[in-house]
Amino acid sequence: MDKSSQVIAMYLLVHIGLIFFTYPADVIASLSVGHWSAILLGFACHFTLLGIYTKGLSRFASQNLIDIFRGTGKAFAVVLLFPVMAYLFMTMVVTVRVYAEIITVVFIGNTPIWSVMLLVVAVCALISSFGVESLFRTGVLVAILFLPLLLAVFILSFQNADWRYLLPLIDERSASFSYVFRRPYLLSQFAFAGGFVFLGFIPSYIPYERRKVVRASFLLLPLFLISVYIPLLTFGEDTAARFQFPFIMAVDTVDVSWLMFDRVTVFFMISLICFVLLYLSLAMWKTVLLLRSGIPLIRPVQANASLAAVLYIVCALIPDWESVERLLGWNLFLLAYVTMVIPLVTFLLGLRRERMGAARP
Amino acid sequence: MIRNLMYRIPLLLITVSAAVTLSGCWNIKDINHRSLPVIMGLQHKNGVFQVWLLLPEASEGRSNVRVVSDAGKTIEGTIDRIGKNMETRVDLLHLKVIVFGQALAEKGLGDTVSGFMRARDIPAKTLAAICDGELEPLFDRLKSSTSNNGIEAYNYFEKNAGWTPQVAQTRIWQIYRSLHSYTRDVAIPIIKPGRTTTLESTGSAVIKNGRMVARITPDETLLYNLFNGQGAQGRIEVMDHAAVQILTDRMTHQSALKEGKAVLNSRLHLKVTVLETISSPTSDRIRQELNELLTTRFQRMFRELQREEADILGVGQFFRARMSREDLRDWRSDHYPHLLINFRVDSIIENVGLLNTMGP
Repeated sequence: MDKSSQVIAMYLLVHIGLIFFTYPADVIASLSVGHWSAILLGFACHFTLLGIYTKGLSRFASQNLIDIFRGTGKAFAVVLLFPVMAYLFMTMVVTVRVYAEIITVVFIGNTPIWSVMLLVVAVCALISSFGVESLFRTGVLVAILFLPLLLAVFILSFQNADWRYLLPLIDERSASFSYVFRRPYLLSQFAFAGGFVFLGFIPSYIPYERRKVVRASFLLLPLFLISVYIPLLTFGEDTAARFQFPFIMAVDTVDVSWLMFDRVTVFFMISLICFVLLYLSLAMWKTVLLLRSGIPLIRPVQANASLAAVLYIVCALIPDWESVERLLGWNLFLLAYVTMVIPLVTFLLGLRRERMGAARP
Repeated sequence: MIRNLMYRIPLLLITVSAAVTLSGCWNIKDINHRSLPVIMGLQHKNGVFQVWLLLPEASEGRSNVRVVSDAGKTIEGTIDRIGKNMETRVDLLHLKVIVFGQALAEKGLGDTVSGFMRARDIPAKTLAAICDGELEPLFDRLKSSTSNNGIEAYNYFEKNAGWTPQVAQTRIWQIYRSLHSYTRDVAIPIIKPGRTTTLESTGSAVIKNGRMVARITPDETLLYNLFNGQGAQGRIEVMDHAAVQILTDRMTHQSALKEGKAVLNSRLHLKVTVLETISSPTSDRIRQELNELLTTRFQRMFRELQREEADILGVGQFFRARMSREDLRDWRSDHYPHLLINFRVDSIIENVGLLNTMGP
């Protein structure tokens, strides 16, 4: 049965959860004029890699990444997949920590961060332990519940836009792409890259049609543009560059006198945190899958519980925001590996398989 | 399957119990143990911040307000001390209006406003006002004339309540934006206790880089609001002949650089209705005089703003496409004072009310 709609819902939610927090600040920090060039470049890379990755996967009907790499050789699979696991783990650590921080800053300033992290890790461990099928069904439910709310917030967020801040459209720096290898721009790729790896892990559980997912990725482009341009149009570049979470600040300025709730931001944040919980659960499920394929003796329950425990301990050991940023920096290498090497290798393996299939009918 | 359940049930229990005991209720103070100030007053004198808070107090059947105040080296510290001395916790989450003392505004609001934006305990959309004279009498008046939980001052500025276009409407985030913008300053309304009303506006303060440098009259504030497309419902007295009300207003601008000098052609399109006439002027006469009046009033205000190098109209925004960022950086000092603005008013008298003649 084709379950593309579930996959599309999950793909969108995961990315929406990642876009609106650190991405706008990174893009605004990497450029002062012509931010659209950075957004479009990032999106073009994302789209290309997504196409290559799913093309490679489509050659192996309902086999997941682990089966595919194993088919070439066990050592090959271990060498290639170990960094993926490391990346997933690092990403989970950073995400849990960052979002726990955001939850305490925005909602519950008096609650110690360890308790928030405990709750986040426990909820994600629980969701992932129920298996990927229920995770994806939850995704559809969450999408139905929260996407209309988000749409309303996006429309409202244009309230204070001053369109003259769009100008000037381009300068030397944005036209020459000289910002590409700078740190803020590379960090911004986190929003593009974190999400789509899961497409390689699910084919044996949840079949989907490649073309539909690739087409759905275009829905993300306006969201990327909104996330950067709303703060720019509201505050102007110089002011927007001073905020840690520019988009949230911009939503904070929205004033709706007929709405009984004072802050629209709260709705927005709750939906996003919900999406991020799904993202974390998905990452946890992937890591457990990798763990189990590496250590076949371990039972799923043990793998899940020990992963959650290790994850929580590592998160609790991070002392401050600066170390989070350092971790993000280290993670860049793994990020580059996972988003470039894995799709390319998958694609090449797919090509090889096709050629072998053609030679041996 | 059984094993799986054995793992899931304890985890479910932990999660549920954590959710019940922790769900945002850590060290939480219930609503009846909180004070939610509506208006805050801030003054700076002899190196000390003075803070006033207007707290609504709902008691059975009637509503009351109370004013608490204290002084200290920092604002947050002072608010904290007020909270310490009160039986409830002070929570600024629903603050509606901040009234700055004139002395503080002249010294500079930059640090104060940046602090508000950083700490996030005060909403970024809180309205700002400046008090003409001392703050003490203002809070006394607000306290004595209250009948509505102390939100008079808020309603005074709120668009769906008592706001009129002769009063500027500026929020904390707009002041913060103006601190870091090359091309944009703000006007903050000036208020004082009214003679017969609770409040009275005596114009607006021109804030440049967070510092008050000049003031404009309520009539000029109407022009400021017209320039930003917010002048509808505003009323204008035309010379000695009539009073008109603005129905719609629209601005069009054309910017140009001529020999390095910035030129802006601005045109204000007004649709008005006649409210009151004295003797019987013709509609052409009213229109002509309205145009002349607004043009001269605008030119006078603009010259004054140019002298102070304060761009509250955001004129520099129109040159964003024509100048490089480096040029815009010196917009206020290099280009703005020499800017040539051709301001023209096109007004249409849409109707003359329910009488079909202009005379008595």
